[in-house]
Amino acid sequence: MKTLAERTAAQRPNVALTALLSLAPLAVGVIAAFLLQAVLAPAVGPFYAKLVLDVGIAILLSVSLNIVNGFAGQFSLGHGGFMLVGGYTAAYLTYYGSIALWGTAEIHGGFMEGGDIFFMVACVVGGIVAALAGLLVGLPSLRLRGDYLAIVTLGFGEIMRVVIQRTGDVLPVAEAKQKGMLGSLTNVGGSLGFTDVPQYVSPTPWLEKTGHAGIFFTYIFVAICVVVAFRLKASSNGRALLAVRENEVAAEAMGVVTARAKVTAFVMAAFFAGIAGGLFGHQSTLSPSELGFQKSIDIVIMVVLGGMGSISGAVLAAIVLTLLPEALRNFSQYRMIIYALSLIAIMIARPQGLFGTKEIWETTWWRRLFGRRTKAEAP
Amino acid sequence: MSTAVTSEPVLTAQHLSLAFGGLKAVADFSLTLRAGALAGLIGPNGAGKTTIFNLLTGVYQPDQGEIFLGKQRLNGLKPSARAKAGMARTFQNIRLFGELSVLDNVRTACGVRAKSGLVGALLRTPGWRAEERAITERSMDLLQTLGIAGRAHEQAKSLPYGDQRRLEIARALATEPKVLLLDEPVAGMNTQEKHAMRSMIQQIRVDFEVAVLLIEHDMGLVMEICDHITVLDHGTTIAAGVAADIQNDPAVIEAYLGAPDDAASEGADGVA
Ligand SMILES: Nc1ncnc2c1ncn2[C@@H]1O[C@H](COP(=O)(O)OP(=O)(O)O)[C@@H](O)[C@H]1O
Ligand SMILES: [Mg+2]
Repeated sequence: MKTLAERTAAQRPNVALTALLSLAPLAVGVIAAFLLQAVLAPAVGPFYAKLVLDVGIAILLSVSLNIVNGFAGQFSLGHGGFMLVGGYTAAYLTYYGSIALWGTAEIHGGFMEGGDIFFMVACVVGGIVAALAGLLVGLPSLRLRGDYLAIVTLGFGEIMRVVIQRTGDVLPVAEAKQKGMLGSLTNVGGSLGFTDVPQYVSPTPWLEKTGHAGIFFTYIFVAICVVVAFRLKASSNGRALLAVRENEVAAEAMGVVTARAKVTAFVMAAFFAGIAGGLFGHQSTLSPSELGFQKSIDIVIMVVLGGMGSISGAVLAAIVLTLLPEALRNFSQYRMIIYALSLIAIMIARPQGLFGTKEIWETTWWRRLFGRRTKAEAP
Repeated sequence: MSTAVTSEPVLTAQHLSLAFGGLKAVADFSLTLRAGALAGLIGPNGAGKTTIFNLLTGVYQPDQGEIFLGKQRLNGLKPSARAKAGMARTFQNIRLFGELSVLDNVRTACGVRAKSGLVGALLRTPGWRAEERAITERSMDLLQTLGIAGRAHEQAKSLPYGDQRRLEIARALATEPKVLLLDEPVAGMNTQEKHAMRSMIQQIRVDFEVAVLLIEHDMGLVMEICDHITVLDHGTTIAAGVAADIQNDPAVIEAYLGAPDDAASEGADGVA
């Protein structure tokens, strides 16, 4: 039988078509992000626009956590911690960086001008620093599994939170100028939170007022994250993660370097969590107590509910679980009870989550509703 | 039936020993497997056959002894590195990626020969696409060879038992091995299925130019198709040679009569 190398050499992919196919989903994502910001947000008003924003950040978090918990099957409770690392890194950069560059911590320039670009770069740097933290936390995952790993990742998040809480007050502009960026490294607000972060991520309608394009920024990163997750899942690297989850011994025996696979999963997930932290942190005051244990749990619930390994499931769960508490606001005294009961009910009915590892369009009921009959299903 | 095998040794195990606490699971085991060989490893339950596979594939490190694949020394290498070097196996207690499709089980194993990395996959470069297509194509061909292509899109865990064993073999072959270790590939099959599997193994050995080491604790099949047979009992090699010699060896007869099958003790612990 012909080897993989021989078969690969025989393939002649169309380069232009490949490039188009590679870029198309991202282009669609950017356009969708723009429409959400420019059309939907003004149409629904600030209250619902804020929900659209929250949903975007939630999708970013659940889809990225799904890479570790869903694909690789490593139970991480540290996503809040990675958000915190990324969020504080980005906020530090935009606040003190703006002061160093432009002498003020205000939003700089108009839509997609200097300030916006600077903000997005800061988010990516936040993601990179979080990814480095992911590398650090991923390493113990090579020796630990299940509950033990969960505790280590949880401990990481809590340590980060406590460290942040012990930092000094945010320096006012004049003092920040004098001390320089390095000198203000530990002045990120302590337990009071990082105040006066330039609010690049405001959901309120924008364009005429500079920098208020949070939904646009958020959904660009959402698009990248979702595309990355799908491409990962449909590649050798992603299958390696799923194999680790399914049977680690067999995965190793089939040549999957399980250690590298796990660490890769941690790093990728932490990267997007860090970016999500950056987006989250530029809405108003970034406070360490918001990114604690509870936040990590919330994200885990989304992944578990959507189905471990299902990207569309993670997206859907993020949307539903962000909107549900709002929908239940009228029954506020019963809200948490209804929320908790519906979660318990779903987990009893479908312990593998709504969709398991499958995507929504791969489930039997979807095929039954929308699909053509395949040979296997025909009577 | 046996072909004369005079080529280079592909797999050499020298004086392997392993104890689990006080239990000597494998003692002073040696074996040379030449290119294209089909050798058998037999012995009663608990004799240490699966443990030898675990030593060869790196699940366990031996207390003593050395393992070579061609000229490469394997001691200390992790199972994934050994798979890359050309060692593949199936598991006695089937270990498929249950939630994944049959096709993805095989495609996962093709990954060990893949050249393009994570960045290629995320950017979907032409190189990645070409390779991904080749992976799918080769995987489907492997499923075809094993006769389970019709079930490519079913979940692996939903396959009937016999097909799961076939998928284990397809998956192992996907790694493009030089040595294929089959741990009781016909266990639980009926006579007809065993027959089919027997010709399948002979076919695979030729088509894939792979040396096969076959564990089977009932002698019949092994006697018929193997060029060389090693008999184990309580971790020690009690006989080794061609089928005719083994069949008449008093120590072998003794071991088989003296130690009746005890299914309850099978694969007590560890990786089977
Ligand atoms: N991980 C382990 N820990 C302790 N004992 C083991 C372990 N693996 C195998 N054994 C023991 O080693 C002996 C050989 O087992 P095994 O190699 O599975 O036998 P076989 O495959 O020939 O039936 C048995 O007594 C078994 O219980
Ligand atoms: Mg065994």
